Amino acid sequence: MPEITFTIDPATGNLEMHVTGIAGPACEDIAKLAKELLGAPEREEQTAEYRLRVAVRPSVRPKANA
Amino acid sequence: MSKYLIYPELVFTDRTLLLAALADLGYPEVEEGEFLPLFGYLGDQRSETAELVIRRRSIGAASNDIGFTKTAQGYVPIISEYDQRTLHGGRFLVELRSAYAEHVVDAVTQRLHGMARRTVDGNVIKITVRY
Repeated sequence: MPEITFTIDPATGNLEMHVTGIAGPACEDIAKLAKELLGAPEREEQTAEYRLRVAVRPSVRPKANA
Repeated sequence: MSKYLIYPELVFTDRTLLLAALADLGYPEVEEGEFLPLFGYLGDQRSETAELVIRRRSIGAASNDIGFTKTAQGYVPIISEYDQRTLHGGRFLVELRSAYAEHVVDAVTQRLHGMARRTVDGNVIKITVRY
């Protein structure tokens, strides 16, 4: 299940966001939403999970009338 | 007379979330308009203008108006040196950032139709959103 962890430091007001559970650039959508509300981040890193490619396997369904 | 300081690196992108954060800090009355003049504690008009203004009557007798000027990136605070030093024990902008951050988390949670779980880990607040 996709998960976003926000860390707010009340001493500075800094907000950090970490997206997990989404392999590949699909998490860009989340980053885009965050940028829309927060502006350009000071730092942006892609985790190893980001670099994973989503494997799409063709599925063969039996015909209903077979 | 206290001079105004402008914080261009401190930008609040979303107007609604900024107003909500200001309300959290105890400033629900915010004047909105274009190029609103800012007044100092003596009632003197300053050269700076803003699009969102907390009037000094809502802040304190010795305070000056606090403004937020709209830029291409978002709303930038304009606050006097005096108020920056004294308001909320000198932590007005830090507390505003924290309150704004919490509203960002709420907005993201709502948009994703997610569930948020909040914990305090040491001195930091952790909010995990599952969707």
